[in-house]
Amino acid sequence: MAADLVFYGFALLTVLAGCFVVFSRNVVHAGFALMFTLLGVAGLYAMLGADFLAVTQTVVYIGGILILVLFAVMMTRVPSQNAPRRGLDRMVPAGIFAVAIFALLYKVATGTSWPTATPGEALPTAKLIGVKLMTDAIFPFEFASLVLLVAMIGAAILIRERKVLPAEAPAEEAATEAPADEPEVTA
Amino acid sequence: MLNVETLNLPNWADARAFVPELVMFGAFLAALLGDIIAKRRPWVPFAIVLFGAVTALSYAVAGLDIQAPAKILGDMVVVDGMSSFFRMLFALTAVVTVLFSWKSEEIMGPGREHKGEFYALIALMTGGMMVMAESTDLIMLYLSMELVSLTSYVMAGWMRGSLRSTEASLKYMIFGAMSSGIMLFGLSLIFGLTGSMTFEGIRAALSAGTVDPLALLTVTVLVLAGLGYKIAMVPFHFWAPDVYEGSPTPVAAFFSVGPKAAGFALMIRFFYTTLQPVVDQFDWPLMIAVLSVITMTVGNLSAVRQTNVKRILAYSSIAHVGYLLMAFLMLTEQGLQAILFYLFVYTLMNLGAFLFVTAVNNSLKSEHLADYAGLGFRSPWASVMMMIFLFSLTGVPPFAGFIGKFYLFAEVMRREWYWLAIVGVLNSVVSLYYYMKIARALYFDKAPEGAGAVPVPALQIFAMALLAVPTLLLGVMWGPLKGVADRAVAVIAGL
Amino acid sequence: MEVGLTHYLILAGALFLTGTAGVLTRRNSLIMFMSVEIMLSSVNIVFAAYSRASGDLSGHVFVLMNFAVAAAEAAIGLAILVEIFRLRRSVNVDDLNSLME
Repeated sequence: MAADLVFYGFALLTVLAGCFVVFSRNVVHAGFALMFTLLGVAGLYAMLGADFLAVTQTVVYIGGILILVLFAVMMTRVPSQNAPRRGLDRMVPAGIFAVAIFALLYKVATGTSWPTATPGEALPTAKLIGVKLMTDAIFPFEFASLVLLVAMIGAAILIRERKVLPAEAPAEEAATEAPADEPEVTA
Repeated sequence: MLNVETLNLPNWADARAFVPELVMFGAFLAALLGDIIAKRRPWVPFAIVLFGAVTALSYAVAGLDIQAPAKILGDMVVVDGMSSFFRMLFALTAVVTVLFSWKSEEIMGPGREHKGEFYALIALMTGGMMVMAESTDLIMLYLSMELVSLTSYVMAGWMRGSLRSTEASLKYMIFGAMSSGIMLFGLSLIFGLTGSMTFEGIRAALSAGTVDPLALLTVTVLVLAGLGYKIAMVPFHFWAPDVYEGSPTPVAAFFSVGPKAAGFALMIRFFYTTLQPVVDQFDWPLMIAVLSVITMTVGNLSAVRQTNVKRILAYSSIAHVGYLLMAFLMLTEQGLQAILFYLFVYTLMNLGAFLFVTAVNNSLKSEHLADYAGLGFRSPWASVMMMIFLFSLTGVPPFAGFIGKFYLFAEVMRREWYWLAIVGVLNSVVSLYYYMKIARALYFDKAPEGAGAVPVPALQIFAMALLAVPTLLLGVMWGPLKGVADRAVAVIAGL
Repeated sequence: MEVGLTHYLILAGALFLTGTAGVLTRRNSLIMFMSVEIMLSSVNIVFAAYSRASGDLSGHVFVLMNFAVAAAEAAIGLAILVEIFRLRRSVNVDDLNSLME
């Protein structure tokens, strides 16, 4: 069936790009691979009849979060980005562990009777979600605004340029931090 | 067409039941605005948040004699005895932390930035923790937990330009995000298995017995991973010593009691409500017993080797998580009473011990045990109170910690898990060693030549006394608090 | 075999483990961060799939909230990361050893 083929296409795109993110040695490549993962997920939403989620995923995730990630990638570039790969010793136990967990999840997914209704035709969800957000789920909706507010304040606090002050640097910190690594603080 | 009459909309009755949270969130916003309007006058946000926390505390105490659980705000949160209990606990923690931070060099010292925002974020986090203790819906569980976590990440990295602080914040954030991802996967499977987002719906679906035990065990482990990270349960504890050491001491003090108690509140609410009917259908008791033993043993044995007092206290707080987990064995009401009692006592004594470290840090500029030599004579009042906290943390009579531990062990004995009780007692003996190491440094080690007095501001002495006096009193007169805890358990929703 | 709920669950499981493995094995905190985003996406797939299967839209609401939280987490997380980079010129967690042990 065509729809099944599309599913497998998106699934393959999502997982392969995900693996690329995890295993790639170049952070920039990983960032772009993440875009394909997120696109694949958006496609899966569309296949699940979640039109609103698919659009939001594209706009918020790919248009917002991913750009933020790429900015961070660019801002933290150092010349020798392709450092020799470390942590291969960790990959083997992690791989075995992951396969074992996957076997467990597979058993849970296939061996459990999930209470399902017969899915009818997928209807547009935007209006239904909107009503839900304004009635039943209004408190989480308002609460999420607090989460976003703290993110704004927090990011501003964490990243604002520091004022240079003469009586800075308590003694214990000066001892533990190599002075050569001090940031170039601008006034 | 939508009919407004039939919609499930919040109303004024909801707001009346939700006053402490509204006050804390309001204080957060007011403190932010106040900080902007009254530039360079950090006392403005300080006063606003202190006032808010005291108001919330009085509302919370007044709410302790609640008669029946009330589901509010579209059944997303519930106000019952347990939420009133935790509101009181969190508001108290906020009051003490705010009072204490005012004279703390790490927050208010010359050259420190964002003094006003610090108080604002304390208010926000307190409100978030209150909501954590009241959530009855997976969405609110996740959102409130994330609000508290995100605020913690910011506060852990508070000391800008300090590598230790920023590093602590990064580690906390990455592994915190991962563990909440793991928990979310568990939550999504629960939604799939039971078809419900509310705790009550999940309970109903589980007690109908249609859920496969293997799937149930899997989701329980996944959810436990996320909540275990918040309460610093082994093997999800590794962040705690680093974060406590790296972040400013008042923040570490707040972290060691506030979010931890909130994590416990969420754990109680979630596991008691959902798993109680099926607790004997899978290996829940054994799993909890093993986790509890590992947590307390790792915590205590690691604490023995430490020389940094903040790290000793960090590992000791991990050990206390182990003791608390013991009472989760069978998800009984007596166990819940014991947990609530111990959480209150733990908050008093652990916050107190951390505040001592803050107070001393102001002029000593060190957290190392070697530098604590002779402090008993260099700052007598604070040291005496520290001794009270240390004895109480060890769990010797006649201090509150003993009573708390007694109830925890009584619950274990009642359920006939004797080996667990024995391990717990042995662990308490180990903990005696390192608590007394601090005590020895305070009173028996000679101060270096020429070491002067270590002054502690009166405000901080007062804040410590707010904790030390109840720690002493509850050791001999524990009846009232036990009554409050029993009452909180009696008026609980969904059990 | 027709694609159904189980397929989505297995796909989400695979994606989830990919992300988890990334956080646990990689030492570059940016990659670790991206791996967390992959984990969150896998969770979202489960919710969406389940909402489709049961016709209950609460799953969609959860996914939306998850978007908001992920955005907030990205803002704070990347701010911390950039700050670490300013101080240390590295985003590798193995280089972060100013805390004891």
